[in-house]
Amino acid sequence: MKKRMSNAGEGSETVKKEQVSITVNGKECNHEVEPRLLLSDFLRDHLRLTGTHVGCEHGVCGACTVLIDGKSARSCLTFAVMADGTDIKTIESLGTPDNMHPLQSAFWEKHGLQCGFCTPGMLMTAFELLEEKPDASSDDIREALSGNLCRCTGYQTIVEAVELAAKNMRSEA
Amino acid sequence: MKPASFNYIRAKTVDEVLAALNEHSDAKILAGGQSLIAMMNLRLVKPEYLVDINHISDLDYIRLEDNELAIGALTRHSTAASSDLVRENCPLMAAAYGYIAHKAVRNRGTVGGNVCHADPASENPAVAIASEAKMILRNSNGERKVAADDFFIGLYETSANQNELLTEIRIPKAKLGQGFSFQEVSARKGDFAIVCVAASIKIENETCSEARIVASGVGEKATRLTTAEEVIKNSPANSESINLAANEARTFIDPPSDFHADSEYRKDLAFTLTKRALEEAYEQCRGRK
Amino acid sequence: MPLKAHIPESRQTEKPRDSYKWIGKDMKRVEDPRLLVGRGIYADDVNLPGMCHSAILRSPHAHARIIKINKSKAESLPGVLCVMTGAEAEKETGPLPSWANPPVHQYCIAKDKVLHVGEAVAAVVAETRYIAEDACDLIEVEYETLPVVVDLEEARNSTGDAVLHPYRGENNVAISRTLTFGPVEDDFAKADRIIERRFRWPRSGGTPIETHGAVATFDSGTGKFTIQANTSMYNFCGWMIAQSLGVPGHKLNIIPTLAGGSFGAKLFSHKQCVLAATLARAVGRPVKFMEDRIDNTTGSDSHASDRVYYASLAVKNDGTLLSLKTRIIDDFGAYLQFGVGTHGNALSQVVGPYTINSVQVDLEAVFTNKCQQGAYRGFGSEVANFVIERLVDATAQELDLDVVEIRRKNFIQPDQFPYLIPTGNMYDSGNYPAVLDEALKLSSYDSWREKQVELRKEGRYVGIGVASCQERSVWSTTEFWMWNLEPNGGEWTSSPDSVSLKIDPTGKAYITLNSPFWGNSPETVAVQVLAEQLTIDPSDIEVTYSDSDHGFNSAGPSGSRFTVMMTGALVGAAHTLKEKLLRIAGHLMEADVADLEFRDGAVSLKGAPEKRLTIAELANTAHYFRLDLPKDIDLTSGLDTSHVYDHPVTTLPAEDNSHMGIFYPIMGHMCHIPVVEVDIETGEVSFLDYAAVHDCGTMINPMTLKGHVRGGVVNGIGSTLLEHYHYDENGQLQNALFTDYLLPSTLESPPNMKVGHVVTPSPFTEYGIKGGGEGGRMGTPPALTSAIEDALKPLGITIDELPLSPNRLRKLIRDAQSSDG
Repeated sequence: MKKRMSNAGEGSETVKKEQVSITVNGKECNHEVEPRLLLSDFLRDHLRLTGTHVGCEHGVCGACTVLIDGKSARSCLTFAVMADGTDIKTIESLGTPDNMHPLQSAFWEKHGLQCGFCTPGMLMTAFELLEEKPDASSDDIREALSGNLCRCTGYQTIVEAVELAAKNMRSEA
Repeated sequence: MKPASFNYIRAKTVDEVLAALNEHSDAKILAGGQSLIAMMNLRLVKPEYLVDINHISDLDYIRLEDNELAIGALTRHSTAASSDLVRENCPLMAAAYGYIAHKAVRNRGTVGGNVCHADPASENPAVAIASEAKMILRNSNGERKVAADDFFIGLYETSANQNELLTEIRIPKAKLGQGFSFQEVSARKGDFAIVCVAASIKIENETCSEARIVASGVGEKATRLTTAEEVIKNSPANSESINLAANEARTFIDPPSDFHADSEYRKDLAFTLTKRALEEAYEQCRGRK
Repeated sequence: MPLKAHIPESRQTEKPRDSYKWIGKDMKRVEDPRLLVGRGIYADDVNLPGMCHSAILRSPHAHARIIKINKSKAESLPGVLCVMTGAEAEKETGPLPSWANPPVHQYCIAKDKVLHVGEAVAAVVAETRYIAEDACDLIEVEYETLPVVVDLEEARNSTGDAVLHPYRGENNVAISRTLTFGPVEDDFAKADRIIERRFRWPRSGGTPIETHGAVATFDSGTGKFTIQANTSMYNFCGWMIAQSLGVPGHKLNIIPTLAGGSFGAKLFSHKQCVLAATLARAVGRPVKFMEDRIDNTTGSDSHASDRVYYASLAVKNDGTLLSLKTRIIDDFGAYLQFGVGTHGNALSQVVGPYTINSVQVDLEAVFTNKCQQGAYRGFGSEVANFVIERLVDATAQELDLDVVEIRRKNFIQPDQFPYLIPTGNMYDSGNYPAVLDEALKLSSYDSWREKQVELRKEGRYVGIGVASCQERSVWSTTEFWMWNLEPNGGEWTSSPDSVSLKIDPTGKAYITLNSPFWGNSPETVAVQVLAEQLTIDPSDIEVTYSDSDHGFNSAGPSGSRFTVMMTGALVGAAHTLKEKLLRIAGHLMEADVADLEFRDGAVSLKGAPEKRLTIAELANTAHYFRLDLPKDIDLTSGLDTSHVYDHPVTTLPAEDNSHMGIFYPIMGHMCHIPVVEVDIETGEVSFLDYAAVHDCGTMINPMTLKGHVRGGVVNGIGSTLLEHYHYDENGQLQNALFTDYLLPSTLESPPNMKVGHVVTPSPFTEYGIKGGGEGGRMGTPPALTSAIEDALKPLGITIDELPLSPNRLRKLIRDAQSSDG
């Protein structure tokens, strides 16, 4: 069986690579990418931002959700070249363990996660919702999160967490 | 599931798009990518060239012009879904958006891309036909208009030629006396329809004078339920004629069976959703007087 | 039935009590901060220098001989490091682990035949996953297709080329056994009526959002493999992966990553680990194999029970349940990795919470050209729950009895525990009437029944379902024995769990767990238990996970056992360290150990708590001041220990196979009461209410337990209404994508599930805790089916087959309405 230790090739050699400049979590990133490189892989492999997770690669589970110019998007259904010139926010921009975003604290408080795999996508979607609708009702929340699949929680505590975050964010405002 | 390689062309104008389409017979338009990229990730399609039209910002608009709603093909679903102009002038489309995908997909997906994809279970094709929409296509020779009635011709097939770009969808604005309803059953909310029905009717003197009843999910393409329309037109606006129309809807179609839904179930839904759509549309007519 | 005298004595050292400091608290999870900020490391996040990526070429055929593979184009693609066939893999990597008896041969890359769509025919290693998939497209395979078997009743009669494993027999029956427990024929002879039903339970699967995967390296200098993977059981039988790889057990180290959900699916992901490691050895660089979604739905080896039951229940006219007979055909797919363990599992609670006197099970396990079964929340006993509860509902219907009272009447009573059921398993404790009453109260059952009358008058189809189900916890390996006609050496009797525990010179405690995080809350539970034991603050405790080089025997999470077993091990370890701390304190404080106690993070004099030495002070002495301590030879420096906790109460099966012994005795119980409305024109179901009461004994963290209940309920809703891995007659999986394999979203889940608890502690476990991780899914299918059937009662519909898609419900309704004329 033929095998190689390494192979310099990194992709189809007939296709032209593209220069992209994408601002990710406030930092401008200039990279050369194959056109077919998915944004999810650009974030995870090129920028080592592995908080955005991949669950299906056909746009259904929502685990890969990020914000592009403030709007939620499936990073598995976006080519990195399409994100050229845009401003992307991933879970890594939301908060830190010592300085959590109110959504993160609320999820912690309300047990809104178990395995944590869907959580970054949930949080980014909830973040967009509360930006657009600070007084979102529980029906609004359920509707907004209906495109993020969770296999662990049964969703109820996720909805409660977003309600709590909304309440806390309204009183801080 | 990673896509196969392709050459990337970023178009800045419609002319550049047309030039690329003319040069590369295998080129596909990349708009929102919500259908295309999924299919490419699955390697169901492997286009050699993708023409990215997302930077042609003057294809992204919603305007009212001469009693017609003009929606630029690059308008994102989320823009259309929250547009007051759409809500006031094409209530059918506004209602359908309650059933279309999820926010993240609506943020990127475009109205034009959606109708050109012509999925047999998609909502907007049914809305377009029921609303008497016209598709504006541009090619290197100029522009042509195709009625929605003639635009959807088969499974994932429209009458747009390979070297044409859909630039606009024009919808006559809703008139006084018209009533609309959109009904859908899907496996989960936001999924493609198992069956959906878009109904647009007009009542004059307690009689239905105009009717368009269109279903998706009942065949290869969005289908006007013409025999149901015939029954209801020139009939009194009552539950008897609604039932007759709904029965016509059931018998008119010959839907496929798959493991989600067999043919009989789709017929049931055609009946029930036509009935409910007409009931709601009639209610609206009465309200609008 | 074994005599109660044979029930082993309890080894419980920590009795349940009325109040605790940390146990029973809804403490926020220790695991969460890193997960919330996106810093959890899952398998696909592992990135090693020089790492390359692999992809498999999936078979497009359900059953075929591999005639020829032409890989030259694939190999010469720039960026490709190797293309490996099954024949090449077999040169150094043998068959995968199999608990079937006799073993069923499976390889990480199919060798001569492919047995299901999606099975690997070749594997590619390349610089990127993109290139690996490009290369897969260039591999040319010549197949000779063979007859495809997808129907489980037909599989019993397969012959010739339709037989998947001809070395095992002439047909596709993997195992055929009849087991009889108790006087079944006598009990049936006594019956006033026999209730008979055929049930069809469809194939679904755990399908966590994160797929299975591994990153493997092979060090050619030491001949040792290292695998980072999201699998469990690496400290129970990880050596079996080494065996497949052709190396001794100590030449493999498996390091756990976080798992993005498992629900049983990642119990022992041997195939993915063996594949990654085989490829790593071939290319001499770290290799990542992550399933993509289609790899997963078609070939994860974790589909779930796929059964037909022909069931009969012998009953008296007053509703007394006497005896149960079931003839079962189960479609295991192409392989049999866990034998028919899912049926042993079902026998742990096959009579439900009822005093049914005897049971007969006639099982045929068949092979078909589908992905093989693995484990999914319930591991086969959720189906037994469905069967018995549906039969009880059928009995109530045929005898015109109340669905609640017939259950109450047949319950095992609180004073009958510990109770031995006909199969030999024990139910350790319970109070089923209390759980039922609590559920009726929580659901406002009577008020819903009144409302139902009104709503029916309005022409609405509203139904209320009741299901009283067992949720066994803490399996013992003896559950697998009964099915073997001949012993094969796999009749293990150990299923322990272990922890290591140390306290550093500054008084901080470190717990090392030997099994992985799946989304269950092992770190939080461990911290609460140890904080309770040592009277220290949770923030002074660190939890880590061992690899297989350093770990101790640990069966890990599954069968709702991890909280019980880990707590048992932790209590044991804590006792050892506490004993040492007391001896040291006694010496330093010149006091009798009997006069000392742990209080507020210190050892202090009973009655005079101001006389104390903190654990930090004692630890400092223990580590650094040996010569200040007594000369006793066992008083070594430091504070460290490990503890292996064996199953708290298990016994061997009878020699004459008349019973299975005690193998799954820590018995939880639940009652679920859903209220639904059916739109009879469209077949859609919506939830008006949902109440679930669970008895999982003493609860360590009620909040996380409720999370399991709710999550399990939604899994159960999926199995009941939405999920079915559907194969067509050619063995093609019709719904390999999430667009068509339908996981419930927020909108398919009840928005406000009321979860209640009753606590009857176990007499056998530490603190009296019982497992509860699987419960929701084990009760929802019968409860929900019962509610839907109740909603459609005016139409006279009975329901025996899942899932209850709108399509299926509409057909039942249409048929009922047309037969009415």
